[in-house]
Amino acid sequence: MTYRPIRSIARLAVSIFVAVTVLMITTPAFAAGIEIAVGAPEHVSVGQQVEVKAVLSEDGVPVEGAEIALTYQASMAGESARVELATATTDETGIAVMIYQQRADDNGEMQVVYLGPGTDPVEPYVFTIAVEEDGPQLYRNESGVEIPFLNGTLVILLIATVWFFIALSAIYLVRVGRAGRLAETSFTEDGSMWISVLLAAAAVFTAIGMVIVFVRAPVSNKDVTDPDVYDRTPVVYIDETYPYSGFGLNDESIARTGDPIVDGRALYFKYGCAACHGLNGQGATIGPTLVDEIGSFGSFSNDVREGPRGMPAYDDATISNENLEKIYTFLKEDG
Amino acid sequence: MDTLTNWRERLISKTTRPTLVTTYRYWLWLGFLIVIVGNGVYQYSKQWRTGLYVTGMRDRISWGLYISAFVFFIGISHAGTLISAILRASKAGWKAPVTRIAEFITAVALLVGAAFVLIDMGRPDRIFNVFLFGRWQSPIMWDVMAITTYLTAAIIYLYAPMVPDLAMYRDRLATKVGPVRNFIYETLALDWNGSPTQFKLLGKAITIMMLIIIPIAVSVHTVVSWIFAMTLREGWNTSIFGVLFVAGAIFSGIATLILVMAVLRRIYHWEEYLAPKHFLYLGYLLAAFGAFMIYANINEYLTSGFKLEEAGEFAFRQLFLEDFAFMFWFYIIGGLLGPIVLMLIPKTRTIAGVVVAAILVDIAMFLERYFIVVTGLRVPVMPYEPASYAPTFVEWSIFAAGLAFFVLLITVAIKIFPMFAVWEMVEEHEVSLAREQAEEELAREPGTADLGASTRPPSTTRHVAEGGAS
Repeated sequence: MTYRPIRSIARLAVSIFVAVTVLMITTPAFAAGIEIAVGAPEHVSVGQQVEVKAVLSEDGVPVEGAEIALTYQASMAGESARVELATATTDETGIAVMIYQQRADDNGEMQVVYLGPGTDPVEPYVFTIAVEEDGPQLYRNESGVEIPFLNGTLVILLIATVWFFIALSAIYLVRVGRAGRLAETSFTEDGSMWISVLLAAAAVFTAIGMVIVFVRAPVSNKDVTDPDVYDRTPVVYIDETYPYSGFGLNDESIARTGDPIVDGRALYFKYGCAACHGLNGQGATIGPTLVDEIGSFGSFSNDVREGPRGMPAYDDATISNENLEKIYTFLKEDG
Repeated sequence: MDTLTNWRERLISKTTRPTLVTTYRYWLWLGFLIVIVGNGVYQYSKQWRTGLYVTGMRDRISWGLYISAFVFFIGISHAGTLISAILRASKAGWKAPVTRIAEFITAVALLVGAAFVLIDMGRPDRIFNVFLFGRWQSPIMWDVMAITTYLTAAIIYLYAPMVPDLAMYRDRLATKVGPVRNFIYETLALDWNGSPTQFKLLGKAITIMMLIIIPIAVSVHTVVSWIFAMTLREGWNTSIFGVLFVAGAIFSGIATLILVMAVLRRIYHWEEYLAPKHFLYLGYLLAAFGAFMIYANINEYLTSGFKLEEAGEFAFRQLFLEDFAFMFWFYIIGGLLGPIVLMLIPKTRTIAGVVVAAILVDIAMFLERYFIVVTGLRVPVMPYEPASYAPTFVEWSIFAAGLAFFVLLITVAIKIFPMFAVWEMVEEHEVSLAREQAEEELAREPGTADLGASTRPPSTTRHVAEGGAS
């Protein structure tokens, strides 16, 4: 057997290359040193308290005092963003427990992300939790209490009754005119009954019109629950029970994604800018467009702080400089 | 019955006087009103072209002077209902000279009030969407409904008792007025000849309207208050709003009626018919409603002020101590306590005293409408600085035009329509004459006079219009 050192070396090199590649693909966190492992239930139902456990280690050594967050993909007002469900700090064993209440009927892709104190990027741990279908939703989809006989028909009957008497009174006036015309001492040649007929006709016409308006009013209160006639896009989920917490657009946690444009948009909603300047800063009845006329950050900041031409002034206690920059970035880049 | 005939003839000549005699001062006054209305129309044309930007209203305080004026005018319109319908239904012996003026105020104030809703709209061309797409679950719809009903009912209720008087005008003024007014009288008099059949039918029409218009009027201002009370706003979130608004409406309605009566009495020398007793009775009503308003206000503010939730503190501070304190305390002291004090002191229990009370009440009630609308919207619902609102020149102009238009419509109506329900006043006078006669007889020969017969229903007085026809 001849010794072929070159082939052996080549084999060894290929083996090492394959091993390293496999390692790099399967454990990306390894590259940054910190590795996240997560233990979470596979199935949950809406309303349940869900416990997610995360273990952080660096080269097999538990990482203590690391801040992590549990996020999920949510979309609102046409914008998709990662929303923080819970945050926690790891203990000396590298374990952190995060508890959240399941509100949405679909979590999409969930992540456990590393927030600090280290600054090196750490690959987030990606996983999914299936939410049971047909589970209860945490927003009210039954509108109101239904009390027998206390409904639209009653209102229409009431209106019809009142208008019946108004029309009746007008018809008596027609009869007054008729009695005058039939008398031998009629004062005008053709009589003036027509004015009372006109009055009565107007009363009857308005009466019928009013009832029709109410009868054909688009949907009854009950139909509001029918998704075909009423769009109940679940923008905000609200608990049935006290303290009715949920998250809405006015929630700073949606503005912590790290992407200044996404954050800026969330803050743009949070501070109510959209109410006047439109959903995309395009301008509306009250506020002017911000899309092309935004100018420098300095002038933008001045306007927000001073509130020109009827705009409310927002001081830095309300909107921090940092948040203002994010809003500016959103308007400049994406608006 | 010679005295009765004389009395009637004098009444008729006094009533028709405004229709027949027009002085230069009338034209000056009319011109003045038209200038104010014209300025309002011009300012509105600006608003039509530029949008609500020309007003002081913005996103957070989106209701201001216009909606205050709307509530105020709808409130004034309750004068006709209370004075006319309630007094008629309760057969109060002094109502007749007051009813017609009150009914005119109702119809005219309703027209002006409804106009302010249109003026407040940024897109008035969309008004028909209310009828096409309105939903009966919306308080705005209830309002449209209630005001349409009330306006129709008020016009019929104004018109029906006027038919005999219009017939009298048709017969007596035919040669004295021009063709336009002749046409109006001939048309509106419905061939009235005063026959028992016609009186019976007219009586039915009046009775139906008199009874149905009371609940309608109450519902109207309750629904107006619900526009506020059905909203989740600190300061509007109270169940007493319906009661408070209805009482306030009648309160300001009586005050306006007193003012119109006082002015007409002065100009046309109607002292004999609009006697001090009419003003005093209305003044007592004013004081009574003032007391009720005080009660309702204590009820409203103490229940929410005792609990004082977070937003309530802001609402109370601005109303009792800060921005709106002047208006609020003027309303409480001047507008509610004022009339009571004026009626309690014998020296001010005069026509002048009642008129002063009425002026105070009208100003106070307008301020109340204003601060209810504006303070309710001013309480921040998001982390903002509280918004501010001040009416612009456009708004003041249109508001002034609304007031002027209200007066203008009455000014024009005086020249065409009888401001007194002559036939009802003659009926009333006959009853009191008969009573006096019976009392005299009773005093002369105790025990022989038949009181029951002398206070019989005044069926014989129906000759008023017939007499005019001959």
